Amino acid sequence: MQDRTIAPTLIAIDHIDFTAPKTHRLSNSVNLYHMNSVPNETSRFDLYFDAGKCRGAIGIAGFVNGLLFSGTEVKSSIEISNEINALGGFLETGISVENAVVSIYCLRENLVSIFKVVIDAIQNASFDEKEVKEFLSDRKQNMMVSMEKVGYLAQREFQQKLFASNESYSKTVNLSDFESVSQTALKEFHAQHYLKGLLKIVVVGNLPDKDIGFIKEKTRSLLTEKSHCFDGNLENKNGSSHINKEGALQCALRIGRTLFNKKHEDYLDFLILNTILGDYFGSRLMTNIREEKGYTYGVGTMIAELHQTGYFLIATEVGKKVKDDTINEIKYELNRLQNEKVKQDELQLVKNYMLGQLLKSADGPYSMTDLFLSAEMHGKDLEFYNEALVSIQKITAERIQELALKYLNWDDMTIVSAG
Amino acid sequence: MIKYERFQLPNGLRVLFHKDETTPMAVVNTLYDVGARDENENKTGFAHLFEHLMFGGSINIPEYDAPLQLAGGENNAFTSNDITNYYDVLPAKNIETALWLESDRMLSLAFTPQSLEVQRSVVIEEFKQRYLNQPYGDVWLELRPLAYQTHPYKWATIGKSIDHIEEATMQDVKAFFKKHYTPSNAILCIAGNLDLNNVRALVEKWFGSIPAGNKYQRPIQIEAHQSEYREKLIERNVPSSAFYYAFKMMGRNHPDYFVADSLSDALGRDKSSRLYVSLKKNKQLVSEINAYITGSIDTGLLIISGKLNEQVSFQEFDTALWEEINKIKTVELESKELDRIMIKIRTSREFQEQGLLNRAMNLSMYELLGDANRINDENRIYSKITTTDILKCANEILQKTNCSVLKVKADKNAR
Repeated sequence: MQDRTIAPTLIAIDHIDFTAPKTHRLSNSVNLYHMNSVPNETSRFDLYFDAGKCRGAIGIAGFVNGLLFSGTEVKSSIEISNEINALGGFLETGISVENAVVSIYCLRENLVSIFKVVIDAIQNASFDEKEVKEFLSDRKQNMMVSMEKVGYLAQREFQQKLFASNESYSKTVNLSDFESVSQTALKEFHAQHYLKGLLKIVVVGNLPDKDIGFIKEKTRSLLTEKSHCFDGNLENKNGSSHINKEGALQCALRIGRTLFNKKHEDYLDFLILNTILGDYFGSRLMTNIREEKGYTYGVGTMIAELHQTGYFLIATEVGKKVKDDTINEIKYELNRLQNEKVKQDELQLVKNYMLGQLLKSADGPYSMTDLFLSAEMHGKDLEFYNEALVSIQKITAERIQELALKYLNWDDMTIVSAG
Repeated sequence: MIKYERFQLPNGLRVLFHKDETTPMAVVNTLYDVGARDENENKTGFAHLFEHLMFGGSINIPEYDAPLQLAGGENNAFTSNDITNYYDVLPAKNIETALWLESDRMLSLAFTPQSLEVQRSVVIEEFKQRYLNQPYGDVWLELRPLAYQTHPYKWATIGKSIDHIEEATMQDVKAFFKKHYTPSNAILCIAGNLDLNNVRALVEKWFGSIPAGNKYQRPIQIEAHQSEYREKLIERNVPSSAFYYAFKMMGRNHPDYFVADSLSDALGRDKSSRLYVSLKKNKQLVSEINAYITGSIDTGLLIISGKLNEQVSFQEFDTALWEEINKIKTVELESKELDRIMIKIRTSREFQEQGLLNRAMNLSMYELLGDANRINDENRIYSKITTTDILKCANEILQKTNCSVLKVKADKNAR
């Protein structure tokens, strides 16, 4: 009779193969990264621009990003969409505080043809007034929908408090900002941050060198010439604030602080502390708030990285009545990490889990490229992940406690609720 | 071409194995042939609540998640109106841990009262977070009972109301497990850089001794033929008015299923589609518009949904929409339009297939539909679709008497 209570023997992960994309230097500050080893017909390219939300007046970066494919003097937005779609391309544009990105997913046989269309659209965007008007009206409507969501309201307030020390980072769009957008302002931002703002190109796909050569040639005039400064001294405004939302059934919580990124010596070990606290299904917060008390559908923590700094965030949505209880439990879990050493069983589980996840994040050309980019952003190479592997293997309960005492003080946190 | 091996255990468990030498990870996907359509109308939301309980410990193993995490893996699950699907992703060398865990909860759950109470609260919070506390979140709770009158698709997987979840008892839980969570009601798919003989031995070791139980025979569920136009108007405190046109369409096993899928792409997949170009870009009636299908096993829905621009009335939009619908019913698509739809389908399929988990899930789904090998026929089926097929399909589906419309009117004073 087999004994089902005994778990099968586990095999530890002691080695992970990391594969770097090939680096092509385009200028002193701009590189093209090409991941060539893709065992199928898929491909992707990303264009990174120095056109994040911290640049320009309120809202403008988001508007220009959203209008990049709204037409040129000779092509309408519909014609551009038709050309990309006829080649099977999936277009995505995205914007964060410090960057704007344009991505295309397509079959490799169509990548060069789509690239031509994309570059032409970006280079010659004309910001036609009718398109601008339609776009702003849609965006405004979207924002009105978002303003009904407690998660959005809390996140917005959190960003304002988190980046309180620098107005370029803390500013958030208001509905009134949609009324006063001039075509001139859009064109100026576009000229400065797109036509001279290309920071990085990423290509994933089994493509011949001549295709890469073509991409280099086509983007030469867009490359940024200056080096860009990003704030490295952001400081959050600590303390609590609440946004009232009539009729809400749930309350969204965002708790966090400015912290650091991969360049910091404590980063890798803090990542382990972060996992224990809230970054996996069995985390302290999930166990306490969801699995023991049933207050929420989910709670999580993360470290978000910026070019020169980073921040730590706890996020959840809970029943309205248990908001204060939840905040107390979060506080209790932070204190517990500061006052008690993590038990060996739990630490071993988190180590194994993190090694498994690191293996997974290096699996396949797309994940591997993203892993590489995440290190490259901070001037690191893939050796960083071998260091990560060692840091996971070697971490001690004492070190976890030391980091909790150093970085998880309740008084340092910004606490935002909306509901 | 996705290759796989298939075998079946004496207790009825169907097993698929898909080898992929390029990845260090492995997937164990377990599909149970049970969804919200198998619920009692007075106890809805149960299949989904049950999915949560599957993580609350099994007969011999107190916790599901922790041993899997210790093996470097993670897991999740989802419930639809048709199926409940569980998956584990972990380093291939620790594959046995997933089989040990998955087999023990197929054998029996621990059925602790604590687990039921907590998951009940978690699901109620999920209900609030996803369906009640979001603008337009309750749309499916309204649309389903409008479009379906007899088929259990008339309720959403989360359930008709929070009351049903509050009323679930341990007795219900145990009966549901006994009825649906048997080896013969499950399909197990294992994918990764593994050896068939090893996989077979491990599956036999862990799943072989699970009693067969009784194979659940689903009663035939047929939605009564719709022969009238249906419409419902609800008022909500949302920023803009929204519309949902739901047309009945054939289920997944029907030969024209993929034609209907292509038709929905022609109408509203992307910024080149008919409705986007005409009703948004040219006529400026809507701020967004999409068309898609629900992909149900039984009679499904082709949905056209979106939001009205300010100052535009439902009536004005309705007239313009039916004009477009009549066009696609009268004149065949241009061949370049069809080419555009097909290249996008092919591209997105290539991207889906590059993920190991997606391959494992799709293989399991096709096996449920009758034959896993049909995963390899999809490209051929799509490539044979003609503009004439789409015209014919449009005439069949896009009829007013086959349509149920939900209008959500923006009203500052509504709830």
